[in-house]
Amino acid sequence: MAINFQEVGFTYQAGTPFASEGLHDVNFKIPLQQFTALIGHTGSGKSTTLQLLDGLTIPTVGKVEVLNQTLQADTLIKTTNQLREHVGLVFQFPEAQLFEDTVLADVMFGPLNFGASKTEAKQRAQEALRLVDLSAEFESQSPFDLSGGQMRRVAIAGVLALEPELLILDEPTAGLDPKGQADLMALFARLQQERHLTVVVVTHQMEFVAQYAQHVVVFEQGTVVKEGTPAEIFADSAWLRERQLDVPMVRQFTDLLTQKGVALTPTLDLDQLTDQIVAKIQGGRDV
Amino acid sequence: MFNKILIGRFIPGHSLVHRLDARVKLIVSIAFIFVIFLATSWPSYLWASAFTLLVVMMTGLGLRVYLRGIRPLIYLMLFTTALQILFVTTGPIWWQWGWLKITEDGVVNGIAIFIRFLLIILISTVLTLTTAPLDLADAMEQLLQPLKKIGVPVAELALMLSIALRFIPTLLDEAEKIVNAQRARGVRFNEGNLLQRVKAFVPVLIPLFINAIKRAIELGDAMEARGYRGDVERTKYRQHHWQINDTVALLSFIIFSCALAWLRYIFG
Ligand SMILES: Nc1ncnc2c1ncn2[C@@H]1O[C@H](COP(=O)(O)OP(=O)(O)OP(=O)(O)O)[C@@H](O)[C@H]1O
Ligand SMILES: [Mg+2]
Repeated sequence: MAINFQEVGFTYQAGTPFASEGLHDVNFKIPLQQFTALIGHTGSGKSTTLQLLDGLTIPTVGKVEVLNQTLQADTLIKTTNQLREHVGLVFQFPEAQLFEDTVLADVMFGPLNFGASKTEAKQRAQEALRLVDLSAEFESQSPFDLSGGQMRRVAIAGVLALEPELLILDEPTAGLDPKGQADLMALFARLQQERHLTVVVVTHQMEFVAQYAQHVVVFEQGTVVKEGTPAEIFADSAWLRERQLDVPMVRQFTDLLTQKGVALTPTLDLDQLTDQIVAKIQGGRDV
Repeated sequence: MFNKILIGRFIPGHSLVHRLDARVKLIVSIAFIFVIFLATSWPSYLWASAFTLLVVMMTGLGLRVYLRGIRPLIYLMLFTTALQILFVTTGPIWWQWGWLKITEDGVVNGIAIFIRFLLIILISTVLTLTTAPLDLADAMEQLLQPLKKIGVPVAELALMLSIALRFIPTLLDEAEKIVNAQRARGVRFNEGNLLQRVKAFVPVLIPLFINAIKRAIELGDAMEARGYRGDVERTKYRQHHWQINDTVALLSFIIFSCALAWLRYIFG
């Protein structure tokens, strides 16, 4: 069963003078075993959506279907514990969740909570740490002695160690160095492929969206305004810019050339674009 | 789960009470705690309740907000009342079981205490709901000025208070985020026995404290980098101006208190 949002609305602190709307009239699907990217301007409701996906909050109206469970206003929050065994959610700036004495213990914390044995948790934790490129020497260090980027990796490992079927990441690369960003995104895409996971990533970096996403959902002011493949979403650059969203470089370059009268088939792949241009140049020379 | 805590939360508004000078509200709220002890007879309780209700209505925030504010304290109130009822043993006996007895005096006292408690909480809630925390800190600083003469570091204390008040919402938001992050990692709050519940909070409190300390150090560094010194004459960004409304409010309270004293004189 795909992940499905139907007429979902969510209000923070509903029924108090501080009530503020997080989401309204949200309808979209997340295909299983694919890489889905959620994009949208700041405050458009992406993080709120992720919390609903993990059953951390329950929709105020409408329903969310995720992994054989339906969440709606009258769902008891206790019944969502079981859902979280299969969902791994990495929050925005997850460094704030580290608390154990050592890196290894912190990564083992999640699996232990969900009933893994000590040996199993340790083995899963070590595997997760290797995935995020942290070598064995980090295991016995205090997470608070690490750099910001290393802490981020530990926090991500802490969720990967849960071995979720549905992996959700909220701006996992924000504030990292360019290589770290590319490495992490590549890791999520690889895990998705190899383990047939459903991966949902919130990101502002359209290059990654163009490169890895199979499905894209666009948020604006608390609701979903468009969904589709990256090719469909990036087809209309002007529409995206109106929503203060970036357009991938390849697409921008194609647009500029098209404006100058060079007819190109739209693509998001750099190699394909290069091939087309090379073909044009050669074609021009041959004539 | 943290955002349900309403005590000490400010709800912006434009009512007459909102617009009063924070100093008036602070003085009245503190004085009220003492003045209420003048109430000893039913007419005086009625008078004090009417005054309180009027003030509550004038804030324009609706009774529900106040009820929510009282809810966390209801057990404390009931406990105090129960103690009064059980341990005041003079007057006609209504009910007895072994050494436990409920007497008329006990019940009357209990109800009286309950009403006093309720009124004090309501008035204090009016203060915190209608006054921006920083205004409150400023008001405290100004009212404490005389203590400067005997060497009390009033400015520093006020700064500490404003910083603390300023960071309460930040800390609550952060606590909420960390709670969610740990729930995502399988921590179950509000489940299991007391020990398990307390233990569940360790993964929240450690990061919360570490971040709070980090933030405090950063704030200290930033203030030092800009040459902040507490011991010099400082001017204020927010100026408070005493207005006619403030005088009227203070006078009304004085009249209310005199009437209460008079009721006591008449009814004993
Ligand atoms: N804890 C909260 N309490 C009240 N309102 C909130 C809370 N968190 C978010 N909101 C509101 O909900 C709306 C959606 O916020 P959300 O955090 O989902 O945005 P976002 O798309 O994740 O933005 P960003 O890209 O900045 O992370 C915003 O208008 C915000 O003001
Ligand atoms: Mg967000």
